[in-house]
Amino acid sequence: MALLEVTDVASGYGEVQILWGASLKLYRGQLTTLVGSNGVGKTTLLRTVMGLLRPWQGTIVFDGQDLTRAPAHARAKAGLVLVPEGRQLFTDMTVLENLEMGAFSPRARAHFQENLDKVFALFPRLAERRGQKSGLMSGGEQQMLAVARGLMAQPELLIIDELSLGLSPLLALTLFESLTQLKKSGLTMLLVEQNVSLALAVSDYAYVMAEGRVVMEGEARALLKNDDIRRTYLGVAH
Amino acid sequence: MFGQLLSSLADGLLLGFVYGLAAMGLSLIWGVMTVINLAHGPVIALGMFTAYLLFTQAGVNPYLALLPVAVLGMALGLVIYGAAVHRVLNAPHLSTLLATFAVNMIIIGVGTAVFTTSPHNIDFSLGSFSLGPLTVPFTRVVAAFAALAATALLYLFLYFTRPGKAIRAVANNRMAAELMGISSTTMLALSFGLGTLLACLAGGLIATFFPFTILSGGPYELKSFVICVLGGLGNPLGALLGGLLLGGLEGLVPAFMPVSWVPVVEFGLFVLVLLLRPQGLLGAK
Ligand SMILES: Nc1ncnc2c1ncn2[C@@H]1O[C@H](COP(=O)(O)OP(=O)(O)OP(=O)(O)O)[C@@H](O)[C@H]1O
Ligand SMILES: [Mg+2]
Repeated sequence: MALLEVTDVASGYGEVQILWGASLKLYRGQLTTLVGSNGVGKTTLLRTVMGLLRPWQGTIVFDGQDLTRAPAHARAKAGLVLVPEGRQLFTDMTVLENLEMGAFSPRARAHFQENLDKVFALFPRLAERRGQKSGLMSGGEQQMLAVARGLMAQPELLIIDELSLGLSPLLALTLFESLTQLKKSGLTMLLVEQNVSLALAVSDYAYVMAEGRVVMEGEARALLKNDDIRRTYLGVAH
Repeated sequence: MFGQLLSSLADGLLLGFVYGLAAMGLSLIWGVMTVINLAHGPVIALGMFTAYLLFTQAGVNPYLALLPVAVLGMALGLVIYGAAVHRVLNAPHLSTLLATFAVNMIIIGVGTAVFTTSPHNIDFSLGSFSLGPLTVPFTRVVAAFAALAATALLYLFLYFTRPGKAIRAVANNRMAAELMGISSTTMLALSFGLGTLLACLAGGLIATFFPFTILSGGPYELKSFVICVLGGLGNPLGALLGGLLLGGLEGLVPAFMPVSWVPVVEFGLFVLVLLLRPQGLLGAK
C-alpha cells in the first residue's frame, strides 16, 4: 500500500485554477523526485497536500487515513512533514528554538533528544550555532536548519521543496549527501528540485508535472535517459 | 519645590508599572496577530468592576480578587477572539479594527446600562508611608510589585515554556507553525486571552486606588498605544520600560507646565517616535 496517495487533485488561488487533476503515489523507503518547469504548480501541489490550500476536488490519503479535509497542523501530527520553499524559519527565534518547534507534535516530542543528536551529527554547524537567532545565519545554514527542523518532526514522509535553491554547488552536494544518508536510514522522501540531474541521480522514482497535471512517471534512472526529459529539464541539446 | 518634584516623580513611576501592565496586553495581541484591540479600554474597566463587585458583594480582598479577575479576563478574551476576531483575522486591517470597536461599544453600552456612568470606588486602604518629602499609599506600591511580577511571569512563559514558544512561533510565521503541528488558531486564541487577562489585572489594580466608571479604561488604552510605540511590540520588558518612561514623564511634566499639557507631551512623543524610530524606542521589531 502506498504511504501517500494523491488522487486527481485540483486547487488554486482565489479564482485561478493551477492544478487540474494531479495524482501520485509514494511508497515507504523510497526517494521520489517531482520534476517540472518553473510555475507548473509543484509548490502548489505540495501546499495542497499539506493542507495549506484547500483541494477543490480529489483525495489525499496518508498512511491509510483520509486527510483531504484535515487542517495543516493535523497532518504534521500524522507524520506528513514539509520543508517549505523559501525555508520559512522562525527568524526571530534561536536555532535550538526552531528545532524545538519542529518537535512540537506529540509523536516527535517523545524522540526529541534522540532526533536532536541525529540532526546535530548530520549538520555540526547547527550544533555550534544553537544559540544564534536563525534569521541572522547564512543562506546555507538556514537551509540546513530548515531540513533539520523537518527531521525533528519525526516524519514518516519528508517532503522538501527546493533543497538547493540559492546554494553554492558545493553546499548543494553536501546537502544531497545528507539526503542519501537519510534514505539509507529508511526515511521516505519526496523532493522538488531545480537541479534535476542531481535529484534524479539519487532518486528511486520520479514524476513529471506540466500545466498542473502529472504527465509522466517512471524509474528515476530511466527518466535520466529519456530524450524528452534530457532536452526539457537537463538542458541537453539533441 | 525639589521635594514636590521628587514626590510627583515617584508617584508617576509607581503608576508607570501599572501603565506598563495595561499596555502589555495590547502589545501582546498586536505583536502576535497584528490586531489593534480597540476594546482594550473597556476590558480594563471590566477588570475594575469585577474587583469592585467581588469586594462590595462578597467582601473579597481586592488582591485576592485578582485571581478571579484573571480567570474572567482569560475567558472574556477567548469569547471576544471566537466571536469577533477569528473570522476577520485574514481580512484587511480595517475589519479587525471595526470588529474590536464593535466589542468596545457593546461593553460600554452594557456597562453603562448596568453601572451607570457615575464613579464607583473600592473603599479599601493599606495606609501610607512617608519618606522625607514623599508620602506614598501602600496600594500603589503593591500594584507596582504586582505589575512587576506579572511582567516576569509573562516573560518566563513566552521564553521558557512550550506553549509560550509556540505563541512566538505563530507570531513569527503562522504557516510554518502549522507545518510543525502547531494549531495556530489555538495559539492565537490563547494570546488574545492572555492579552485581555493582563488588561483586566491592570484594571483590578487601578481600582484599588482610583475611582472609576465604565469609561475609565479609555485613558489607559491611549497610554497603551504610546507605550507600545515606545517599547516595541510583543515584548513584556519593553512594555514595562515604556510604562515607566510614560509614568516618569507624567510625574515631571506638571512641575514645568500645567497638567493639561501632559497628553500633549505624551502624544508629541508618540508622533516623534513613530517618525524617527518606527520599530519602537526600545524594541528591536
Ligand atoms: N500565492 C499565490 N497567489 C496566486 N498565484 C500564485 C501563488 N503562488 C503561486 N501562484 C501561481 O501559481 C502558479 C504555480 O506556482 P507554483 O509556485 O506552484 O509553481 P512551481 O512549480 O513551484 O514553480 P517554481 O519551480 O518556480 O517553484 C504560478 O503561475 C504562480 O504564479
Ligand atoms: Mg516552487
